[in-house]
Amino acid sequence: MIHRESGLLKTSYQADMALYPLPIARWSVAVILVLAFLVLPLVLSEYYLSIINLVSVAIVGALGLNILVGYTGQVSIGHGAFMSVGAYTAANLAVRLGAPFWVSLPLGGLMAAAVGAVVGIPSLRIKGLYLAIATLAGQLIIEWTINHVTWISGGVQASIEVPRPSLFGIQISSQRGMYFFLLAFVVLAIVGVMNLMRTRVGRAFVAIRDQDIAAEIIGINIFRYKLLAFAISSFYAGVTGVLYTYYLGIANYEQYQITTSIDYLAMIIIGGLGSVQGAVFGAIFVTLLPIVIRTSMETFGGLLFSSGALLNIIPNLRLIVFGLLIIVFLIVEPEGLNRLWRNIRSYFRVWPFAY
Amino acid sequence: MFDWQFGVLLLSNGILIGLMYSLIALGFVLVYKATDAINFAQGEFVMIAGFVVAVAIAAYGAPLWLAVAVGLAGMIGFGFALERVMLRKLIGRPVIAVVMATIGLAAVLRGFGPLVWGAGTKSLPLPIPEEPVVLGPLFIPPIQLVGAGVSLLFLAAFSWFFLRSRRGIAMRAVADNQQVAMAMGINVERYFGLAWAMTGIVSALGGIVWGNLLGVDVQLSLVGLKVFPVVILGGLDSIPGAIVGGLIVGLVENIAAGYIDPYVGGGTKDFAPYVLMIVALMVRPYGIFGKAIIERI
Amino acid sequence: MRATLAFLTGAALALGSIAPATAAEIVIGAQCDRTGPTQTVGTNLCPGFNDYIKLINSKGGVMGHTIRADEVDNEYKVPPAVESYERYKKEGAVTVSVYGTPQVYALTQKLTEDRIPGTSPGFGKAAAADGTKYPYIFPIAATYWSQAAAAVKYAKDQMGGLKGKKIAYIFYDNPAGREPLPVLEELQKLEGFEMRTFAVPPPGVEMGAQVLDIAQRYRADFVISHLFGRSPSVAIKELKRVGFPLKKVIGFVWGAAEADVEAAGGYGVAEGYSALEFAGVGEDYPVLKEIKEMYKKEGKPEPKEMKESVYYNRGVFLAAIHVEAIRNALKAKPDGKITGADTKAGFEKIKNFTLGGLVPPIEITPTDHEGGGLVQVWQVSGGKWVKRTDWFRAYPEVVAKVIKEAK
Repeated sequence: MIHRESGLLKTSYQADMALYPLPIARWSVAVILVLAFLVLPLVLSEYYLSIINLVSVAIVGALGLNILVGYTGQVSIGHGAFMSVGAYTAANLAVRLGAPFWVSLPLGGLMAAAVGAVVGIPSLRIKGLYLAIATLAGQLIIEWTINHVTWISGGVQASIEVPRPSLFGIQISSQRGMYFFLLAFVVLAIVGVMNLMRTRVGRAFVAIRDQDIAAEIIGINIFRYKLLAFAISSFYAGVTGVLYTYYLGIANYEQYQITTSIDYLAMIIIGGLGSVQGAVFGAIFVTLLPIVIRTSMETFGGLLFSSGALLNIIPNLRLIVFGLLIIVFLIVEPEGLNRLWRNIRSYFRVWPFAY
Repeated sequence: MFDWQFGVLLLSNGILIGLMYSLIALGFVLVYKATDAINFAQGEFVMIAGFVVAVAIAAYGAPLWLAVAVGLAGMIGFGFALERVMLRKLIGRPVIAVVMATIGLAAVLRGFGPLVWGAGTKSLPLPIPEEPVVLGPLFIPPIQLVGAGVSLLFLAAFSWFFLRSRRGIAMRAVADNQQVAMAMGINVERYFGLAWAMTGIVSALGGIVWGNLLGVDVQLSLVGLKVFPVVILGGLDSIPGAIVGGLIVGLVENIAAGYIDPYVGGGTKDFAPYVLMIVALMVRPYGIFGKAIIERI
Repeated sequence: MRATLAFLTGAALALGSIAPATAAEIVIGAQCDRTGPTQTVGTNLCPGFNDYIKLINSKGGVMGHTIRADEVDNEYKVPPAVESYERYKKEGAVTVSVYGTPQVYALTQKLTEDRIPGTSPGFGKAAAADGTKYPYIFPIAATYWSQAAAAVKYAKDQMGGLKGKKIAYIFYDNPAGREPLPVLEELQKLEGFEMRTFAVPPPGVEMGAQVLDIAQRYRADFVISHLFGRSPSVAIKELKRVGFPLKKVIGFVWGAAEADVEAAGGYGVAEGYSALEFAGVGEDYPVLKEIKEMYKKEGKPEPKEMKESVYYNRGVFLAAIHVEAIRNALKAKPDGKITGADTKAGFEKIKNFTLGGLVPPIEITPTDHEGGGLVQVWQVSGGKWVKRTDWFRAYPEVVAKVIKEAK
C-alpha cells in the first residue's frame, strides 16, 4: 500500500477524464519528467546521451507502428518506407526551400501520412498475412521510387545532407542539444497517442481489431478508419524519419529497408502490443540489446575465447541472442514487457498485504 | 522491333526459375496448410540445409549421395525438433506470435550458420554440367532443369499424398479443424511434427539445388523473400498454387527485366511481381487457388 | 522475473565497464561488417587490419605508443555505425575506419563537426576525393569514379578502341552502384561508345534476365560489372551459363576476390574474368611475411584469412595508412597528445606510401584525399589470380570534372 487508490473524489468532469487521475501516477510522471529533462543530461556523458537519442527516435517509430498493428490489428511491414518518405520530404524542403525544421517536420509527416493512406487502400479487401505482404510490396515500391527518381532522391547517391536544426538561432548539433530536441518530440508523441486512444477514433480502431465485422454492423465505417490508422501511423513514421535525418544530418533510404520494418515489429511485439508503455519498453529493449550484448561479450567473453575468434563470434552471437530472446518472449510472455511491468506493479500495489 | 528470340529466351528462363521459386514456396505452403503457421524462416531453412550438405561434401569428403542423405536426415530431424521445442508452445496464439517467432528463428539461424560453418561461400558441386543446353534459340542451364524437375516431382508427390494417402487426409483434417480431428482420434501434435518434417525435406532439396545455383552462404537465405509473392498469388494453402504462383512470378520478373527495365532505368523486376500480386489480391483476396476463410462473429 | 532483473543488472554492469583509453595508447575506431550482406569481405578484411596493428605493437608501437584498434560490427546498418562512432569518440579515437557506403554518408557531418578523420577506401562518397569540400573524409584509394574510368580504359585497351563498341554496365541497384554513372556518361560522350545499363536489384542473387539481355539481345562487346556481396559470383556464373566470354568482363574492386571466384564454382569456371584491385593480391609481400613471422614466433599458425588475400591485404593496407597518419601526427606533436585534427593533418602529409609494393605510391594532399586513384587489373588465369597491368589511372581530367561538378 504505497499509495492510496480509494477515497479520491472528483468534482468536475475534467478531473474525471484526466490522463492521470491518481496522485501517485501524477507524481511518478513528474519525477520521470524531471529526471529526463533536468537530471540525466547533466549527469550522463555524450556517449550515453547518444544511445538515448537513438532510443528516442525508435520510440516515436514504435508508437506509430503500434497504432496500426497494436490498436487496429493491421499488420504492416512497410514502416521503414514511410520513414524514408518523411525523411526525403523534409530533406528536400530543407535543402531546396530552406525550410526550418518546424515546417519540414510536420510536412514530412503529412507526406508520409498521404503515402501511408495509399498503401493502406488494399486493406479494404485484404486482411491478415495477405495485407502484411501487400504492405511489403508498398515498401519495395517506395524504395525503388526513391532510388530511381532523382528529383526526390537528390541525385545518384540518393542522399541529401540537411543542415542542423536551429531553434531561436541556436544550432543544435551536440548530442546534448539533440537530446532535448528529440526528447521534446518523444513527449509530444506519447501524449498524442494516449489522447488519440481516448477519443472515438481510438475506440473505433480497437473495435476494428477485436471484431471488425461486428464493428461494421454497429455503424463504424471500417474502411475509413483503417485508412485513418494507416495515415496516422505513417505520420508518426514520417516524423521518425525526419527526426533521424536531423540527428544524422543526412537522409539516405538505405537506412529504412525491410530489416528496419521488421525491427520495429519486433519492438512492439516484445514490448507488448496495444499499449503505449509496451511500445516504449520494446523500443528501448530492441535498440539497447545489440549494444548490451556486445559490451557484455567483450567484458566476459574475453575469459573464454581468444580475441580474434571473439570478433567473429560476437556479431553472430548477437543475432542468435536477439532471435532467441524474441522466441523466448513469445513463448513465455506473449504480451511482452508490458505484461511483465504490470505484474510488477500489481505486486507492489497491495504489498505487503498480498492476499 | 519485337525480338522474338529474346522473348523466347526470357520465357524459358522465367518458367525454369519460377519453378525453382516454387520449390521453396512448397515448404512454406506445406507448413501453412497443415498447421496454420506462417514460416518467415523458410529461406533460412534452405540455407541451413545447403550448409549441411556443402560442408559434408567439402570438409568431410562425403560422396554426394551420402551428403544428400545426411542433409535430408538432418532437416527432418530439425523439423521434428523445431515443432516439439518451439511451435508446440505457440499453438492457439494469434497469428502474429508465430510470425514473430519464425522471424526470431530466422535471426538465430542466420547467426548460427556462419558461426559454426564460417562466413565464406561454399560451393555445392553436383554432377550437373555447367555448360548450357542449347535447344535452338534457347540456352537452358541444366541446374535449372533439375530444379524445375524436382519442383514438379514434389507437386505430383504431395498432391497424391494429400488426396489419396491416409496420412495426407488426416493432415488435411487437422488443418481444417483441430478439435474435431482430435475427437476423431487423430494425434494432432504428431501431424504437426510430420508437417514440419516434410518442410524439412523440401528445404533440403531446395538447399541443394539453390546452393548449387548460387553457392552456399548466409545470403542464400535471401531467396526466402521470393516466397511471399509466390504464395500470396497462388494461395497460402494450395500446393498447385505454389507451382502456378512460382511460374507467374518467374515470368513476370523476367518480362519486367527484359521489357520494362530499359525504359525506367532498371530494378523493376523486384517489385513487379508484388504489383501484380496486389492487383490479383484485390480481385481474389485469398490468392488464385487459396481457400476463402469464412468468418463468423 | 528474477531472470529479467538479473539480465538488467548484468547489462548495467557491462555498459558501465566500457574501457577508456589508457595513457600512451592511441585508439583507432575500426568498423566492420561481419554479419551483414558484405560479411564475405568483412570477415577477411578486418583480421588483416587487426593483424597489422598487432604487428606494429609487437615492434614497440608507433614512436613508443601502442595502438588499439577497437573493432565493432556494424552489420552494414547505420544505427550501429552511429552508435559505435559515438563510442569511439568517448574512447578518444583519433581516426575512424568507416565501413560501408551508407555509413560514410551518415557519419560525414559528424566526422566533420567532431574533427575526426574517417577513411572509406574503394567505396563511400566519390566526391570526397575533394579535400576542400570534405576535409575529414579520406577515400585513400580509388573511388568508384576512378574505378569506372580505369575500367573503361582497360576495355579500350582490350578492344583496341571504343568507338562504336557496345558496353554493358551491370550494377547493383543502390546508390553505391549508381555512383559511377556520371563518369561513365562523360566517357561515353568523349570516346563515342554505346552503353546500356543493367540494374540488379538487391540482394542480387538472381539476374538471369539481365545477363540474357546482355549476352543475347544487346550483345555487348564488353561488360563492366559493379557488384558486391554475393552478386559478383552469381554474375560470373550466369554470364558463363549464357555463353558470354568472361575475358570480356571487368569487375570493380569489390567483385575481385578469391571468395567470389570460389563462390562462382572455382577457378575453372571463372577463367578469364578480370577485376580491378587497389591493393596487391597474393602473399608475396614483405609486410605479409612479417605478419607470418609474428605468428610463427607466437607458435600459432598463420591466420586462415590470409588465404583470402584480396580482402586481407586491403585490411592490412588500411591499418597501415592509419598508422602512417598517426605517425605523421606524432612527429608533429611528440608529446603524444594528438587529436583528430592532428591525425587529419597527418593523413595529408602522406607521400609515396607503398607498403613494400603492396599498394601503388599514394600521395594525399589537402585537396586530394583520394591519393591518386591508382588500380591494377588482375585476371583469373590457369587456376589463380594473375597480374595483368601495372598501377595506372585513367582519364584524370574527366574524373576531376565530375568531382568539381558534384554537389
